[in-house]
Amino acid sequence: MNRTILGFLKKEFVQTLRDPRMRMLLFLAPIIQLTLFGVAISNDIKNVRLGVFMQPQDTVLQHIYDRCLASGWFIPAPSSQTDPYQQIQSGDAEAVLVAPEGGLTRSIYRGDGQLQLLVNATNAVRAQGIEQYVNTVIGLVTSDMNLFSPVTPPVQLDFRIFYNPTMETAVYMVPGVMCLLVCLLTIVLTSMSISREKEAGTFEMLIAAPVKPWEVILGKTLPYVLLGVSNIPLILIAAQTLFAVPMKGSLLVLGLSSLVFVCTTVSVGLLISTFARDQQQSMMGGFLFLFPANLLSGMMFPVENMPEVLKNLAYLNPLMYFVAILRNITLKGGEAHLILHHLAILSLMAGICMVVSFRRFNTTLQ
Amino acid sequence: MADTSAVEVNGLWVKYGDFAAVRNVTFSVVRGEIFGFLGANGAGKTTTIRVLCGLLTPTEGTVRVCDLSPQDGLLPIKRKVGYMSQKFTLYNDLSVGENLDFTASLHKLDPAVYRKQRDELLRFIAFDRPLNTMVLDLPGGIKQQVSLAASLLHNPEVIFLDEPTAGVTPAARVRFWELIRQLAGLGKTIFVTTHYMDEAEQCQRVALMRDGELIAIDTPANLKKSTFPQPLLELEPTTKTATTKIAEWKSSGAFDLFEPYGIRYHASVADQKIWKAIEADVEQHFHIKSIKPSLEDVFIRLVEGKSHGASI
Repeated sequence: MNRTILGFLKKEFVQTLRDPRMRMLLFLAPIIQLTLFGVAISNDIKNVRLGVFMQPQDTVLQHIYDRCLASGWFIPAPSSQTDPYQQIQSGDAEAVLVAPEGGLTRSIYRGDGQLQLLVNATNAVRAQGIEQYVNTVIGLVTSDMNLFSPVTPPVQLDFRIFYNPTMETAVYMVPGVMCLLVCLLTIVLTSMSISREKEAGTFEMLIAAPVKPWEVILGKTLPYVLLGVSNIPLILIAAQTLFAVPMKGSLLVLGLSSLVFVCTTVSVGLLISTFARDQQQSMMGGFLFLFPANLLSGMMFPVENMPEVLKNLAYLNPLMYFVAILRNITLKGGEAHLILHHLAILSLMAGICMVVSFRRFNTTLQ
Repeated sequence: MADTSAVEVNGLWVKYGDFAAVRNVTFSVVRGEIFGFLGANGAGKTTTIRVLCGLLTPTEGTVRVCDLSPQDGLLPIKRKVGYMSQKFTLYNDLSVGENLDFTASLHKLDPAVYRKQRDELLRFIAFDRPLNTMVLDLPGGIKQQVSLAASLLHNPEVIFLDEPTAGVTPAARVRFWELIRQLAGLGKTIFVTTHYMDEAEQCQRVALMRDGELIAIDTPANLKKSTFPQPLLELEPTTKTATTKIAEWKSSGAFDLFEPYGIRYHASVADQKIWKAIEADVEQHFHIKSIKPSLEDVFIRLVEGKSHGASI
């Protein structure tokens, strides 16, 4: 191997790994962030305080209420209020089941089973979830009690869920978070490493030596490609241990895909560093890229639901392709056509960033 | 000329947009010479050095370093020159050994050649600490010497030192200049910029830059002679009211230089007739002594005095 590149590798590794803060940033911070994101970012709705207003002999509603509590999604709300609206208003309950006049049981037998559900919709996503859960419970109870149709309905839905059978948010969220962490580390470390040289004046020493531009570029990027890739197994083990994220696909394919993605993000970091004069500007540039990249990655919000303009921007986002690849490999086993297609796009992005960086990168001080 | 010149500069211009940092500069440096490059901040010294090291491309003019022109490619020049910039160019978070290893890798030195060269250079700078000493823990003077050793690892013919002793102790400066003289003794060409006039006195020739232009170039002795054909007077105040008279004497036209020098003043007589007329008055307030001019006097007169429009 080229002596200059080897020298860069040794120097960058020593500088990065000697600093305790950098070691923490590289190896501990991703695990902490993964845990926090995995636990906090969840669409699963739990611990909904559910109240009920009914007469003691209303067996159907009592049954619905009991099933709701037994589901694990709901907990009983304190019943200090005499009015259901007040119970929501006071914050004692997030949802309240209100029986019709004379009770739900009697109303069903009268043929007009009307049950009122009051929901606090200050959090619309949570309100929608509550409605769905209550609907599901009502469906189960009415079916169990044969309240409406004593005969089997003509169409029965045989509902099967693939790839994430328990529909755990963490299982699909954690691979997304993994992409974000690798992206964050590689972009920020690469761009800051080059800006640090400019800021300290050592960049002048680098270019005063008889080195070719590609040697400096490769020397400053290769160490971060290796450090970024070395983070993948660590994050993967944490994801499997802490969140039981499955690994349905090939580890080799995942490793190669990660390498391509890390090369792309490192080249983005390099491009940012050609614009930045100091570490502060590098950091700002990195985050200016990362925030929209995160939102447009499909990690939290489906790209398909976005307006056309944002959808087109999302197609320029390397994070979106790697989130899709990683979810596909871990949850579905990895589809060759999707992975190859996305890797080709990532490689193209890396190539473009490298060419532009190379053109902008000067080995003179002009 | 090519046989004896290590550096040749002809009609050099360097422009940043509309601003000309170096204007039509021409000079040459002889092989094995200690050549001082002096000037105020922003005079164009560092820009010129950067052109000579292949870090900047000239806007106009020709440059040859070790018989090589930048037009033939910058890498051959970079292989023949050593450059130590104004800032400490060592990595504080690496040890001395790691810094030297990295510099050697930049020059693609053969490991065996490098180790031999490193050990010789560390002996040369009398570095007596372990190689794994962190650069951060070194005193400023030692750091400068290690920085010099790093710039010499590839055995360059010409060594460019840009304010190498800025910010180090006087003792460390003396030691550093001993090393510079030894290097010159080994046949290396030393091109040095400095703000310390005692250091400039040790150069064989000195060039003075002002506002991007070369205003004088000669040996320190010749520069003093040509700048001060008349003897220089040193005036030491003997009365408390001495300084109140200075403005009056300055405006009399007797002097073409009258500058503070510590608690004393250095003055150069421009008009003997007026001087004779006011000499007695001056003697009442100052003890007058005829002295030899220093390079600092030359610098003040040529670089600072004229740049401030202070021909008095």
